[in-house]
Amino acid sequence: MDETTFASLYHDMWLIRAFEQGLESEFEKGNVPGMLHTGLGQEATQAALAAHLEATDAYFPDHRGHGINALAQQRHRGDGRRIMAELFGRSTGVCSGKGGSLHSADPLAGNFGDNAIEGSYMATVLGVALASKMRGESKVACAIIGDGTVGRGEFHESLNMAAIWELPVLYACVNNGYAIHTPVGKGHASADIVDLARGYGFPCEQVDGNDIDASYDLVERAVRHIRDGNGPFFVEFMTWRWQGVFTGEFRPADEVKYWREDHDPILMAADRLREMGWTDEHLDQVEREAHDTISYWIDFAKESPPPDPAKATADVYVGFEVAGS
Amino acid sequence: MTGDSKVKKRTMVKALNEALDLGMEAFPEMFLIGEDIGEMGGDFGVTRKLWAKYGEDRVRDTPLSEAAIIGACVGSAMVGMRPVAEIMFADFLGECYDQIVNNAAKLHYMFDGQFKASLVIRTACGGGFGGGPHHSQSVEGWFLNVPGLVIVAPSNPVDAKGLLLASIESDDPVLFLEHKALYRAKGEVPEGYYTTPLGTAAVARQGTDVTVVATMRMVPMALEAAEVLAEEGVSVEVIDLRTIRPYDADTVVDSVRRTGRAVVANEAPAVGGLGSELSARISQDCFHELLGPVVRVDGLDTPIPFSVELELLVLPEADRVIAAIRQAMTQPTRGRQ
Repeated sequence: MDETTFASLYHDMWLIRAFEQGLESEFEKGNVPGMLHTGLGQEATQAALAAHLEATDAYFPDHRGHGINALAQQRHRGDGRRIMAELFGRSTGVCSGKGGSLHSADPLAGNFGDNAIEGSYMATVLGVALASKMRGESKVACAIIGDGTVGRGEFHESLNMAAIWELPVLYACVNNGYAIHTPVGKGHASADIVDLARGYGFPCEQVDGNDIDASYDLVERAVRHIRDGNGPFFVEFMTWRWQGVFTGEFRPADEVKYWREDHDPILMAADRLREMGWTDEHLDQVEREAHDTISYWIDFAKESPPPDPAKATADVYVGFEVAGS
Repeated sequence: MTGDSKVKKRTMVKALNEALDLGMEAFPEMFLIGEDIGEMGGDFGVTRKLWAKYGEDRVRDTPLSEAAIIGACVGSAMVGMRPVAEIMFADFLGECYDQIVNNAAKLHYMFDGQFKASLVIRTACGGGFGGGPHHSQSVEGWFLNVPGLVIVAPSNPVDAKGLLLASIESDDPVLFLEHKALYRAKGEVPEGYYTTPLGTAAVARQGTDVTVVATMRMVPMALEAAEVLAEEGVSVEVIDLRTIRPYDADTVVDSVRRTGRAVVANEAPAVGGLGSELSARISQDCFHELLGPVVRVDGLDTPIPFSVELELLVLPEADRVIAAIRQAMTQPTRGRQ
């Protein structure tokens, strides 16, 4: 990978991390309603996907997908702030505050929205892919899922249907080791999800999801395979989430240390950049700029007005009005 | 209603088949998807010959994957397609309940109008043929509490054709209920393309003494009951709701305000269903005009048993509608004694 691409991905990963850290801090202060699921620790998988998905593609983010949403919004629509504003439930959000953290969408950024029922969009993604195939487009329809989603029936219905119809679906499985509190190997017949996917007969590959270089290359290859009309591709990113559960950290100390210190995607990428001749000052500057950008986005979100009350009853139906209170 | 003035006696199956054919001709973005709807033509023959005419790409057979079928509908609608799914039996909707309730129905709202779930889910519902507990249910109560969903329930072939074409044209997700006992019912179905507006009830028979609000199979039974009671000098108005969500409250309320008596008839169990909703609405909006309480005709509060003798006990038949109307006519008028 050339230095420019690497630098761009490093920047993207920092934007995601700053986004999530800023959001977490605001959440702790009580400024963000609802629930919070951050993508901290999983920045490389999201940056790798965002780098290869175009505005004309369609991806369904998972519930830790604020980062990829922000990157797509910034890159394709020129305004990542609207993702932050959505998480604050503000009128300037991508869904005017009606969707929030778990339902942020902007189809013009290729973002087809999360569905907070894990696995639900495993079925939905088929339709986008089917339409694309029927129309002869080269669109990639991507479902970003977690390891826990594999427990859902839709996982199997989806892989089977994508296989028999050779649909242009990229399955991006973010295996972060745990479905909430349950280790992946305890909840599934294999701790390696690719083992479960391979039976459907299309390419399934596993990658170190904290290695931005390897993740970027694999996504590039998978996307090319799909755009060339070869049907679905399954990628499993092996990674780890920083966030514990509501009761706090539950994982062994050596495991936490390994993923947060020895195998952190950003620290690993920084080492590579140092090998390319980058100074600590240069690296720090990327980090600082990311935090400055996010700080500005948070201010924008907090200063934005709440949604118009009429939004409460708007768009329930296209063809019928619903009475307000 | 537009369409050709030529009419033919046709079954509801044929009327629905014509609607699908005309829709496929009119909308290049429309396609059909479901289990054995292709070469076989569907379990009840509603999609017969469409596979041969439009090809397997637009008349698409699927595995037994109801969630994937409706997911494929939602996803394709998100990018402007107009899918029409067949779920073989309404009882199977449990397998794709999440796709309907959490995806299709909420899509337009939760993403602030950026997507439209322009899809139709056709399904065969209702009892009366010995289908047993998993092939006979009335499922409207499962879905009545879902904002964003349109539920259509025709009672005759003429409406079935027009309502299905209107559902195909609609940009909202439509659950289109086809009562199995009505599939072979015949009607004077106009040729050509016409639509029957969603959200409007029909006055199936005008009357002045009592209003019967009915859906699907209960409409012909209400009409039969009205004939019987006419001979006894009782004038029965029958309202066919046709769309049960969002339903035409104005037509119902206007009628009951005129007649002062109301019977609500549907096949589903009584608790938490359409009968409950209609009774509440009528009681609230017609309180001052009502001469007595709303009388209800529902299925018994049981699953549907297999044995024909038992099923007859559970499902409401015309005699129960007749009895309900008599009750409405004879119960003491309201007022403090």
